Amino acid sequence: MQNIIVVSQKPSDLGELIAIARRLGEPLILAFQESAVSINEITGYGHKVYRLNSDRPEALYYAIKSLYDSLKPKLIIGPTTKNVKDALSLFAGLYDIPLATDVSSIEDRGDEVIYKRGFLSERVIMTASVRKPAILLVKPKIVSPAEKIGKSDVIDLEVTAGDVKLLERKPKVLSGIKLEDADIVVGVGRGFKSREDLKLALELANLLGGQVGGTRPIAADYKWLPEDAWIGISGKRIAPKLYIAIGISGAPQHMSGVSDSKIIVAINKDKSAPIFKLSDYGIVNDLYKVLPILISRLKARASQK
Amino acid sequence: MELRDIIVLVKASLNPEIVRQNPNGSYDIEYTPLKISDIDRNALEEAVKLKSILGGKVYAISVLTWGPLKTRDKDLRLAIQEALAKVADEAYVVADDSVTPTDQVIVSNIIATLIKAKGLRPALVLAGEASIDESTSQVPARVASKLGYSYVGYVRKIIDIKNGKIIVERDLEEYTEILESPLPAVLSVTQEINEPRPPTLIQIRMASKKPVHYVSLKDLGLEFKMKRTIMDMRVLTITRKQVVIEEANVEKAVDRLLEYLEKEGVLRL
Repeated sequence: MQNIIVVSQKPSDLGELIAIARRLGEPLILAFQESAVSINEITGYGHKVYRLNSDRPEALYYAIKSLYDSLKPKLIIGPTTKNVKDALSLFAGLYDIPLATDVSSIEDRGDEVIYKRGFLSERVIMTASVRKPAILLVKPKIVSPAEKIGKSDVIDLEVTAGDVKLLERKPKVLSGIKLEDADIVVGVGRGFKSREDLKLALELANLLGGQVGGTRPIAADYKWLPEDAWIGISGKRIAPKLYIAIGISGAPQHMSGVSDSKIIVAINKDKSAPIFKLSDYGIVNDLYKVLPILISRLKARASQK
Repeated sequence: MELRDIIVLVKASLNPEIVRQNPNGSYDIEYTPLKISDIDRNALEEAVKLKSILGGKVYAISVLTWGPLKTRDKDLRLAIQEALAKVADEAYVVADDSVTPTDQVIVSNIIATLIKAKGLRPALVLAGEASIDESTSQVPARVASKLGYSYVGYVRKIIDIKNGKIIVERDLEEYTEILESPLPAVLSVTQEINEPRPPTLIQIRMASKKPVHYVSLKDLGLEFKMKRTIMDMRVLTITRKQVVIEEANVEKAVDRLLEYLEKEGVLRL
């Protein structure tokens, strides 16, 4: 059976990666960052685990190189995260190995592998085939996680971190809210005039039992929301039952993050905003007029019950 | 000799705002215009700042990903012209239909070979963190690997550059890092690094006088066998109901919305 290297950054990503890898060959796990720290959570799958001694992406590059040189895997599977993309792209450049990100399905065809991925802000699905060896970084939630079936041997990998020196690491201010787990998400965009006004969205989300997220300007540029509340191509991808886009015009970079939502509602005063074509229901009006009434209606309903 | 020059990688990307489909549902790539990849503008803007510090020359390099050249020529020229207007002194362009639609393995080989063949000795190679079409974020790192340069991705701030070293802030999912890298280095930058200003009319006029070197694969002694074959590109059609409530009376509009949501069964109240 062909060797498949599975790069795991967090224990929570491993079940799905193993499910994919088991269909393709013999998984060998490379535990990096959180997975290397919480090693007990990843040894239950019964596959050999290589634990990396450093949590730097620069070290992951050397680790992959050393495993590749000795194990000659046909496929390397991992999550589509910044650290893994960076390290594996550097490695891919060394041996001219094809690499795809955001992969949503994989089909093994002997010397080749066929995969699907979204591109153009997830508006187009590309099917491509590449010659093996290949690196495929997958999207979350494309398969159900694998069962744990035994104990793994853990081998420690010691590598250098190269010539880029780490001077300081600063944790980001994060909300800790798992937007991707919420059933209802209220999304805020540049239609909001001030940070203070976001309380309208928060109140709405509270009444609905949902969470608040935002577009790139709101979360990343103005920092009115923590960065883990950023929805879109470089932020979170969510699939709630209900997504309410308020003061959001509907740029593809944002909409790609919400396209799997069951129902999308738009509130925007600009009738020509693209969001209305990308929504199930929309109200054309000023959010500052709509939200107070929507909130009071929901309050009234809540008190009736 | 101290390294002073800067290379900026510029991509003429498929415009994700214009996604048309053929009658059979496939993506109508032929008639999709190309435009400069948005985040490359941040790389160009950062090059303006760095050029004033380093005092060297700025080169733009662009490889045509989506052919055929005949129909893409105008869009490609516009992207290169923007780089020249903004900051670049010269541009190198590789546009060869034998490798379009190209892949990241080939693009990075072309860029690295071109840099070596033209004797460019940059202090920095700058690129956007991702292109707006494929957004795989891998070409800058591949180029670094091929040239043996240092690499830092997702740079959202350049803190200092001197004595053959650069100090930058890297943006990762859960934390940011301050890193020191030797030069030469390849950096991919995020949109937070600056606010790109469009070039002025004078800059645009000046750009037409700057040299653009078209380089063929033959000139570079390159020949490729594609590792990736694109088999299909299908437009994802999620048809939303598009019910737009244009009722001027806000209370009535809200009530109608709530009725709809009730029917959909998505309200908990």
